Amino acid sequence: MRAFRTLLIHELRLAWLGWTTWATWALFLGLQATVFWYATLATSRTPMPWTPIEAVFAWFPLPLLCILPLLTMRPLAEERRAGTLSALLTTQAGPTAVVLAKFFAVWLTWITFWISFAVLPFVTYWSLGSAADGRLIDLVTLGGGIIFVAVSGLLHVALGLLCGSRTRSPALAALLTFVSLLAMTVAGGLLETLPTDGWESIAWLRAPAEHLKNLAHLNDFAAGILDSAPLVLYFSGSLLCLGLTILNVEAPD
Amino acid sequence: MSGEPGQNVHALEACGLTKRYGRLTAIEGVSFQVAPGEIVGFLGPNGAGKSTTLGILAGRLLATEGRAYIGGISVASEPAAARQRLAHMPENNPLPEEARVREYLELRARLKGVEEDRVGLRVDQVLHDCNLRERASSLIGQLSKGFRQRVGIADALIAEPEVVLLDEPTIGLDPQQILGIRDLLRSLRGKLAMLISSHILSEVEQVCDRVIIIHRGKIVAQGSPAALRQDLLPPPALLITTSASATDVLAIAQKIDPSAQARETAAGTIRVELSATSQARAQLLAALIQANLSVTALTEEPTGLEAIFLAATRRETSEAAVR
Repeated sequence: MRAFRTLLIHELRLAWLGWTTWATWALFLGLQATVFWYATLATSRTPMPWTPIEAVFAWFPLPLLCILPLLTMRPLAEERRAGTLSALLTTQAGPTAVVLAKFFAVWLTWITFWISFAVLPFVTYWSLGSAADGRLIDLVTLGGGIIFVAVSGLLHVALGLLCGSRTRSPALAALLTFVSLLAMTVAGGLLETLPTDGWESIAWLRAPAEHLKNLAHLNDFAAGILDSAPLVLYFSGSLLCLGLTILNVEAPD
Repeated sequence: MSGEPGQNVHALEACGLTKRYGRLTAIEGVSFQVAPGEIVGFLGPNGAGKSTTLGILAGRLLATEGRAYIGGISVASEPAAARQRLAHMPENNPLPEEARVREYLELRARLKGVEEDRVGLRVDQVLHDCNLRERASSLIGQLSKGFRQRVGIADALIAEPEVVLLDEPTIGLDPQQILGIRDLLRSLRGKLAMLISSHILSEVEQVCDRVIIIHRGKIVAQGSPAALRQDLLPPPALLITTSASATDVLAIAQKIDPSAQARETAAGTIRVELSATSQARAQLLAALIQANLSVTALTEEPTGLEAIFLAATRRETSEAAVR
């Protein structure tokens, strides 16, 4: 436990003392602000069936695919490249503590990014003064969306770390994470389009298709609906990815 | 020396270590021990299997066959317990560029299980021991190679391990830095067991109590430099500083040892090779004096570790050819 705590503090310091996290954060906020800005403009011109915050969360795959790989690519791949990962494993800190510390450091950073975005609607609301529309601050969607990001982030971050656990190249780790997250995001939709009615042998794919619908889960969370299926998916998936990552890190060359 | 492997007081013990990568055998049947407080040099040319052996001892590589023990604890079966007693500085000494020396050592101390209230004390101690106090707040990325090696050694010492493995600690350093690291290693003699892997023979000779020579993945010789010299090399030649000619000296020497050889190596210095023992040397000196030849000095020609190393590897090569 002491090794985990020491490493988590070290990882967070390392992340926030380096310029790359700040640059990634700026990129994230720029991306989110752009979507929010255009959504606010669109809703101000014509009444829309969605709020600007709903629009931002509808674009969730964009930061997921473009920003998250930038956060997960370094912790393991970069350390493996520099040789500091194996040096770390010569200490009392076992591979579990090492992987969990890196996982929670990236996960907390990812959540921090999203919480920092939450400030934007409030700033916009206050800066518009009397002209502001109350729908700018859609607290239910904002809260539910951030909870979804936190819960789904367990699996997304774990998958990113798994992708970086056997390579020495951060760029390759980012690419693998991008492809894996893309596959996970579209998998539910693709499986749903399979003509399972005439093909009983693949009818079993309906259930995983239902589970893998990332955006549908996001909508449920944003609407305040808490279903056990996505929770099971994200928790069990993250545990599986973390377990595999620990095995990868633990395996001697 | 030892009973059951791993059940004795050796600080470090390798028992028949073999590592194969597919068809390639990196090391085969490597066995040796290091006693507590002993500094042992692990010699071999590049690619001989030094880093592989150290990697297995440190638990970073799995041996295909054989066992390694640190203080009697199996590295493979109880890696956590073995790690508590061991520190390893790998060849390239990987360090985080963006960390400061003190904060890095504090982190390593905590991760190596140093009690929280002793972390500051231990860091101050190793900064002092490794002459790093003035660089404590420097970024590691801005340090010279010599200081980076000192940081690596400080890291190795911070949790007061029983055994330290140093892989090429002076590689890439300038002569001044080598002297500094050498003094530092000498100052640790008796405090902990140390296995220093190197292909720089003079360095090992000046620092180590004992040497182990590995060649093509096999141990070809081990012992103190003096014992290896006796075992592997012919008796050292004598260097006689005299005004007499080489012919005169040879004539006298051959009366004592018919197979003696003599030649002038420098003005006034004659190199005499005798096949026999120290008794023959005493007889030669007495005979030279009796013949009224002025002898101002008689010394043994120094034989460095290089000669031992070459003899050991040559012997292994010729034995392999016979097999």
